[in-house]
Amino acid sequence: MTIEGESAVIRVQPVSSPASIISTGLRWALLAVGIGGAFLPFWWMLRTAVGPPQSVLGLSSNLIPSEVGFAAFPRAFDAADLGRALVTGAGVSIVITLLQLATAIPAAYAFGCLRFRGRTALFAVVLATLLVPPQITAIPNYVTISALGLADTRAGLVLPFMTNAAGIFLLRQYMSTIPVALLEAARMDGLGIWRTLRAVVLPLSMPAVATVATFSFLLSFNEYLWPLLVARSPDIATPPLALVNLVSASGGFPDFAQLSAAALIVSIPTLVVFILAQRRLAAGITGTGVGAEG
Amino acid sequence: MAALLLPASVGLGVFTIAPALVSAFVAGTDKTLTGPSLHWVGTANFRDALHDPDLAQAVRNTVVYCLITVIPAVVVGLGLALAAERVTRGRALVRLALFLPVSANLVAVAVVFAYIFAADPHALANTVVGWFGISPVDWLGDTSTALPVVALVGAWRLASFVFVVYLAGLTTIPRSVHEAADVDGVRGWARLRRITLPLLAPTTVFVAVFATILTLQTFETVAVLTQGGPLGSSTTIVYYIYETGFTGSFRIGYASMLALLLLVAVVLLGVAGAVVGRWARARAAREVAV
Repeated sequence: MTIEGESAVIRVQPVSSPASIISTGLRWALLAVGIGGAFLPFWWMLRTAVGPPQSVLGLSSNLIPSEVGFAAFPRAFDAADLGRALVTGAGVSIVITLLQLATAIPAAYAFGCLRFRGRTALFAVVLATLLVPPQITAIPNYVTISALGLADTRAGLVLPFMTNAAGIFLLRQYMSTIPVALLEAARMDGLGIWRTLRAVVLPLSMPAVATVATFSFLLSFNEYLWPLLVARSPDIATPPLALVNLVSASGGFPDFAQLSAAALIVSIPTLVVFILAQRRLAAGITGTGVGAEG
Repeated sequence: MAALLLPASVGLGVFTIAPALVSAFVAGTDKTLTGPSLHWVGTANFRDALHDPDLAQAVRNTVVYCLITVIPAVVVGLGLALAAERVTRGRALVRLALFLPVSANLVAVAVVFAYIFAADPHALANTVVGWFGISPVDWLGDTSTALPVVALVGAWRLASFVFVVYLAGLTTIPRSVHEAADVDGVRGWARLRRITLPLLAPTTVFVAVFATILTLQTFETVAVLTQGGPLGSSTTIVYYIYETGFTGSFRIGYASMLALLLLVAVVLLGVAGAVVGRWARARAAREVAV
């Protein structure tokens, strides 16, 4: 059951009573403030980036810039080597996403659709790893990655994120709603475990797979702590890192138009992915799948 | 069967479970990142932690930070979810706009907030307080305002996450409950207070616990906005762990002990959340039945 399906209900309500007009007005006022608040930082990035150059000595806070130009964007690209950072960030995030899907899908299938000894206990272990803060694993992982000779490499940026316990959990929840009869039928037809996964379970689980893939990409693209530790050379700086390097390089006299342009450029990939995926996301999170359980 | 679980087991084993266990061991040593020394010091790190004034400050900061981030975010997120639930025209756009902060790059947003809260009298924040006759504030350079500004960025993003979860939670309220309320003429505040909020209680428990755990791990915004300053006034536990283990004298042993204590706190929170959540679900189920 998706959000959309639920809201299709027509509720019987007197439309024109003063109370309901007030409550409708309040509702929209609240939403307008909320939406304005959600947009404000993005708007501020945009209007500062396209506005006239600003320094510490001459800030302005007009909502609309007095003049519009795009000179700050090439400056930001040059100063922070953003082109390279975007390629690195996108490449690293895509590989991480694929690895997470490759490790999570089989595991989720085993936990959600198959019965075996120790299933509950193993799944509990997977869930328990969700509680481990990244700061606790960062130090030993740094040692491991260094020992493998992967410090300051793209592989070193990717490897620790190869598995995503939250992804396993989300996919398992979805797959466990696939009717047992369907899995039985596949078995009767002589499909083995892997072919059942490929031909039956995976096609049915695509909404959840899309959700997990989107979140994997967003989180890895936005990751900051790990690249900060591992990517020492500017060649393999990820976009957030490149942005922070730009901030540090500007010292006490930042060029705000350039910084905002850089921040906007770094924000755009995840915003685009998110906007493209968001309709599916709601279904993937709130939907309980194909079965009758939901 | 084993083949299905192998890839995930390797990933979780090597990069999450083993490191957690190693950290638990290292927490009892005097290891530093660069030095060769690795001696078992028993509970010395733990005892150090109890008497570390910087840690005490970080803990106080973190508690304050969590309170002023999570509570406003839950209230705002709930309000927006209730308001957005019944929107029919433009619902997709409204939701998209309110989901945006979840997907935002925190580093980029923090850079913009640093600019909004610059000390300059013409920066946005100072312009706004100027309308109320307040003289310009050096937001990020003042010990009393640095942490609240970081919290504002945290709450900005968290409210969006809370909104998503409540929106999903609202769809779990059975239609029959709303119909019964309509028949009984229960509307507005009474309906919210006596029906919707009690039925949302399990969602609220989940949101509060999960949001607190997320908030405890705030790192980027502190790193970009204040580096824990001024005078440690915005140093959170996680930022302090980073400072201890990865900067200065690279005291990995001590940092691991602090991370371990954080893990214990997170687990306790999670357990408390599970217990309270079970109770809230049972109560909500009774409400629906009545």
